[in-house]
Amino acid sequence: MCGIAGFFSATRSPAEREAAVGRMVQRQAHRGPDDRGTFSAGPVTLGMCRLAIIDPANGHQPMSSPDGRFTIVFNGAIYNYRELQPSLTAGGWQFRTNCDTEVLLAAYAQHGPACLKHLRGMFAFAVWDERERTLFAARDPMGIKPLYHARVPGGGILFASEINALLASNLLPREIDPASAGEYLAWFSVPAPRTIYRGIANLPPGHALAIDALGRARTQSWWQLPPPVQPGRAAGNYQDFVHGLRHQLEDTIRAHRVADVPVGAFLSGGMDSTVVAGLMARGSRHRLKTFSLIFGEAEFSEQGPARLAAEAFGTEHHEELLTGSRVAADLPRILASIDQPTGDGINTWYASQAARQGGVTVALSGLGGDELFGGYPSFRDLPRLEKILPWWRRVPGRVRGKIIAQLRARPGARARKLADFLAHARDLHELASLQRRVLPETARLALLSPDARAQAQRLGPNHPMLEDFAFQLAGADSFQVISAWELRTYMADVLLRDSDVFSMAHSLELRVPFVDRVLLEWLWPQPAWFKYDPRRSKRALADATADIVPAAIRLRRKQGFTLPFSKWMRGELRPFLDETFSRASLASCPWLEGGEAAQSWEAYKQGGDTRSWSRVWTLAMLIAFANRGAAP
Amino acid sequence: MRTLLLAPELFLHEGGIARIMRLYLKALCEIAEPGDQVDCVVLNDEPGRDPRLERYTTPRLGEYVGCARGKRRFITETVRLGRRADRLVCSHLHQLSVAWLARRFNRDLRYFLVAHGIEVWRPYSLMERRALLGAHRILCISEYTRRQMLRFCPELDPARLIVVPNTLDPHFAPELNDQVSTAPFALPRILTVGRLASDDAYKGFDTLIEAMPLLRREHPTARLRVVGKGDDLPRLTALAARLGVSGSIDFLGPISDEALRAEYAACDLFALPSRKEGFGLVYLEAMTYGKPCLGARAGGTPEVINSAVGELVDYGNLFDLAAAIADLVRHPRDSEVVRRHVDSFAFPAFQRRLAAVLS
Repeated sequence: MCGIAGFFSATRSPAEREAAVGRMVQRQAHRGPDDRGTFSAGPVTLGMCRLAIIDPANGHQPMSSPDGRFTIVFNGAIYNYRELQPSLTAGGWQFRTNCDTEVLLAAYAQHGPACLKHLRGMFAFAVWDERERTLFAARDPMGIKPLYHARVPGGGILFASEINALLASNLLPREIDPASAGEYLAWFSVPAPRTIYRGIANLPPGHALAIDALGRARTQSWWQLPPPVQPGRAAGNYQDFVHGLRHQLEDTIRAHRVADVPVGAFLSGGMDSTVVAGLMARGSRHRLKTFSLIFGEAEFSEQGPARLAAEAFGTEHHEELLTGSRVAADLPRILASIDQPTGDGINTWYASQAARQGGVTVALSGLGGDELFGGYPSFRDLPRLEKILPWWRRVPGRVRGKIIAQLRARPGARARKLADFLAHARDLHELASLQRRVLPETARLALLSPDARAQAQRLGPNHPMLEDFAFQLAGADSFQVISAWELRTYMADVLLRDSDVFSMAHSLELRVPFVDRVLLEWLWPQPAWFKYDPRRSKRALADATADIVPAAIRLRRKQGFTLPFSKWMRGELRPFLDETFSRASLASCPWLEGGEAAQSWEAYKQGGDTRSWSRVWTLAMLIAFANRGAAP
Repeated sequence: MRTLLLAPELFLHEGGIARIMRLYLKALCEIAEPGDQVDCVVLNDEPGRDPRLERYTTPRLGEYVGCARGKRRFITETVRLGRRADRLVCSHLHQLSVAWLARRFNRDLRYFLVAHGIEVWRPYSLMERRALLGAHRILCISEYTRRQMLRFCPELDPARLIVVPNTLDPHFAPELNDQVSTAPFALPRILTVGRLASDDAYKGFDTLIEAMPLLRREHPTARLRVVGKGDDLPRLTALAARLGVSGSIDFLGPISDEALRAEYAACDLFALPSRKEGFGLVYLEAMTYGKPCLGARAGGTPEVINSAVGELVDYGNLFDLAAAIADLVRHPRDSEVVRRHVDSFAFPAFQRRLAAVLS
């Protein structure tokens, strides 16, 4: 786990490039405090900072092939590096280290971009090919590790693991894109390939960036979701499926615990993290360390189930008490660490801090279980809504218009969200796209200034990647469609992005064994009714781990992880929010309709619907982000 | 073999569908064997033969019926001519139910649909769905349109949806005497062509105008030439005025074919960053003049524009749009390569493809 950066420019001198890359590496030094290095050749400079996890004594980067043709910088972990080694050795490579970086370098040297399909892990890397004078960069299939890139005015391309690092190059304008601000208010994040900053792009998950000798950059997809139906790969009956799932779960945990440093686990008390911790504890020679967040507000806390699981597994359990005043005190540091606004993820900041202080360098989490096993309400609700769409279309247009207008006039966000569905959704893809919206369309447009509103209207209410995803999912069943949308949108753009930024802020490597290509490719063609039962949450996962997970957790209703923000915002966080929504602060956001934004906070403060906290908080984080200092 | 062609209009207006369906008529007439006949029923055109019809037909053209917007006449004529036809080519989804009806009267009739763009990118009514499922083949102008149809009607057999890309009118080929227009000196001179209708706001004329201030930072003499008319013109001119770029934009209105050729010949690049082009015939027109094209990475556009002949940007991304235009100025595409790219869309190739699909 590391931070990588690079600068490709035929017009800048090596000294200029090295200075820029040096600033970028310095800005993301928290990602890798153990080592750092730079490399320059031809028009390219590469830089990196390393958090040493595998073969800490070796594996210095940038790493070059013995003949000097290829040089790599790599952020992430290749879990199957030991399995790949023999065939690469047979191909003529003589290994100098036991590090996954060298395996990746050897795989690229022998197979070129085709090596990507053999990798199991999380990664973002860039390889300079001295002979062809080309640069190739790629990101893992699901988007666990980030990679941002930007054209430099006047020529050249910069890339880095964090946007903050790109900005630290001092070669890019720090200009918030009004269209991206509008997208953020819709989706909780700015969907890739756009970012909150104008001119800075997010390389989408499963994509590669190739820069040719003339400096022309092209991005293209190298991985897509598996075919929805694969005869012969689906289990014949539920028992076989559960047996197979158990094998796959054990396999992914085995792969994800590969490390030469202490490994722990986040344990929230939910089904997914309990499965991960249970399987880890079972296969561990040492006592596993687990970490939970607890709250003073009992109704939000999952302290009981987490303790129960920790006792059952015999782990060394650490509980971290999180209070509103603590969040209020840490907010400046949290805001400085993020590189795009987010309304989510603060739990990961604290869990990562606790894990690192608790003595582990790597932690596994249950992220991804909801997406694979139907843990969200969308899996239940959207197919129902889909069934009424053909009937709805038969209603005369004028009547539909009146119903939608009435729903939009209601104060509740649920009614207005339903209005969005009825006004804009034509099929399951569009329902799945719209259901992750934070603010209903009318509320979002009202918050934007006229220019930003025009831009938002031009892009429309649907997700910008709607058509790409819909085409990729031709022939998929309802469960696969919803699962894919959750994987590709909320998980990739919010959960994984926040997890990377907040864990790295504490120099912790966070691993996500459910977000695993091998597990996903096995699970994808299995019949939907094996994976998901609307009457029993995570039935498949519970049945596959019945001998490990305590019955009290297996049979418990899903609670849904929520921080007590609805209370804190009227208490400890109130001064922060008052300042954030002040006239002076809103003046930094010319793309917002200041009065409307301030009004939304006033309404919440005056006792508005507590369920609307996430919309107000999302907006607050955007405003606070825009008010961050010029050099966070 | 008797073929019946149904079309909403061929000569009444200069729309994209009318232009391409004239070429379908031409191709159908030219591939007809001796003894074959092609009949044509057009909903909106006036009765009687338009003087331009001769350009697009051969003596194989049998009856040509203009219905002057008379729907009843359109249906009765289609059923009448459909009774003796072997195949029917339908130009628009809206008319496919009439083709389906014609088949009720002639069980041997096979009907085909030409699927263009936004008219088929939506859910279908029960009647449309039934008519689609009865079609012998569906000719999609791009892979994008094909995928959209499969998305909204998954019951369709994918093997029956065949991509037949649009083609260029041979009459549009550049001529030696095409004059370079006498617009003021500008670099780059950017041309865009299309209907400026508020219903077609997705065409992206406003994004081109909004990108002008960014572009002028690098190219102060950049000039945007806008060809076309429509009710969106006041909004676009007001937008240009508000951004202070009115002096860099020429709204030329509708212009003659000759003037349009002159514009193509004189421009440095052609730009239409549209979100919903089923194909984008105008890109091909510009390419016949060797001009590089800029389009949006959306709809069928990426099937027409590749990196050898132009640039693609994300729809609505002004920064990328300005950067791509600047890039096309810095790295002009080889005009011979651009012209050669059009060859794969030339009329003879289109005609062969059509003959194979209909057989």
